Amino acid sequence: MADAALACGAVAEPARGPWALRAVSIAVPVAYTAAFFLVPLAFFVVLGFWRVQDYQVVPGFSLENYRDIAGHILAQSNYGIAIVQSFYVSATTALCAVAFCYPLVLAIVYTVPGRLQRLVLLFAVAPFWTSYILRVFAWQILLARRGIINTAAASLGWDWMEQGWLNTQVATRIGLVHYLAPVLVIILYVSVSSIDRTLIEAARELGASRLQAFRRVIWPLSRVGITVSLSFATIIGFGDVLSGSLLGGGAGRSIVGAVPLFSNMIMSDYASSTNLPRTCALAMILVLILACILVAGLRAAERAQRAVA
Amino acid sequence: MPAVVIPRGPVDGERFALVAAGRAYLALGFVFLMLPIVTLIVFSFQRNQYASLPGQGWSLRWYVKLFQDDALLAALKNSLIVSPVAATAASVIGFFAAYATHRFVFPGRAALSILLVVPVLIPPLILGIAFLGLLSRLSLQGQLLGVILTHVVLVTAPATAIIQLRLAQMPPSLEEAAWNLGASEWQALVRVVVPFAAAGIAGGWLLAFTFSFDEFVISWFVSGFDPTLPVAIYSYLVGSADPSLNAIATLVFVLSSLVLLGAELLLMPFIVRARRPGRAAVA
Repeated sequence: MADAALACGAVAEPARGPWALRAVSIAVPVAYTAAFFLVPLAFFVVLGFWRVQDYQVVPGFSLENYRDIAGHILAQSNYGIAIVQSFYVSATTALCAVAFCYPLVLAIVYTVPGRLQRLVLLFAVAPFWTSYILRVFAWQILLARRGIINTAAASLGWDWMEQGWLNTQVATRIGLVHYLAPVLVIILYVSVSSIDRTLIEAARELGASRLQAFRRVIWPLSRVGITVSLSFATIIGFGDVLSGSLLGGGAGRSIVGAVPLFSNMIMSDYASSTNLPRTCALAMILVLILACILVAGLRAAERAQRAVA
Repeated sequence: MPAVVIPRGPVDGERFALVAAGRAYLALGFVFLMLPIVTLIVFSFQRNQYASLPGQGWSLRWYVKLFQDDALLAALKNSLIVSPVAATAASVIGFFAAYATHRFVFPGRAALSILLVVPVLIPPLILGIAFLGLLSRLSLQGQLLGVILTHVVLVTAPATAIIQLRLAQMPPSLEEAAWNLGASEWQALVRVVVPFAAAGIAGGWLLAFTFSFDEFVISWFVSGFDPTLPVAIYSYLVGSADPSLNAIATLVFVLSSLVLLGAELLLMPFIVRARRPGRAAVA
């Protein structure tokens, strides 16, 4: 039977057991996705419309949570200003992170010999494998008023950083950039290393200076990677809580004022009230904002793609 | 291909300067990337109560203190239960998901592939709140099982992605040959597909383990009085930072370095694969 099948070049149908592989291998991920992802997410949306009465969660449909949040947009809790702070901090963080990582990737791709690139990349990504909260802790002791950077600077006779950076949104950004860097390096490396070198050589042979070759070849071809990195970094920065809470000190100073990030506000709101329906409603607003950033990012990436296609 | 002569002077000063500048920037970048890690390791062996320069001499006192700290050790134990279990479950689900979307065409396949990746884009803050709602209804709130279930959702996506990358490198003829030789579907899966995907499965497991071991917000919402290690560390940091954290940091870094070594051996070939065509087909 098998010989005959081989002889005419056909593929034998495999013997099927009582549990068909097709059914099992489709059922496992589908059941998992439905039960562990779609159901909790749907329940999360529903829960935002429930209420808390006498410390008990009451099912039903009420817009009370959302009405209450809307009433506090610019008063008391100042959700609106926290959202502005989050936008400001996450967008500038994304810019700083890409401004740090893109030259790093260019340096890896164009100044490191091919056989060493893998090793250098490995070290650039190494922080990713270490614990984020411990890196945040390290930045705390580095950036504190009497921390390592300040005491090191003081021993050299510089005392221009009397205050230290801890508990400002500058510290938040440093923590976030350090957190984001490994992932951005990978995204940008994939993008930059796939640029065809013959294009650059052709530009050079046709008389382009190195700056022109960069501006007319490398930069346009890295724009998709940069756009993806920017929107990824903004989304992660907007949803992150650790840097804002432990480095920004909960309500770190910035141009916007000493206001917490929206994500930190959601966390402290839950910690102080344990009002889950209301927390769900706040998180729902975060979901909508992130969805908008994602759509804007995808659109921008599409435009960048079309510009070179 | 016609030979092209690239006109270059004997000494290209501009090129030299650019390469030097690039490498100098690379060195600076690495100082930034490594600074926190080196700091923690160095100060875990220093006597200082508060990390500042100059150091006050070498000592193991924080390690001694760490092993007397029941709260941190209990949290470490919780994490060492949660993360391997979550990573294993994620790898099994991820393997079936990757295999199903790789081999079979079925209605909803595209939707499934997207849904499997979406959790990565959702901030853990939202996953934590969303799952807390359901878990509190199921009375699983504050139990390790609840943390495990939630972590599985977070880490299945990266595990699936890695296994998918590996399966995409498998020529279909491999499985077909097994069928032709009389293997049943399940035999071919176990004896051919799984061994071929082993590197991807192991890489996916390591990635899932790392994500779970490091995850903070979800555990903060869900874990209650049975905190995982990041949650316990967080409560220390919010209270009073204690240098025995430096000691646990170093231990965690040793663990991470082992994971990193494993990941380098297993994962990097996928990322740098484009540069070495032809290697991938060898099982």
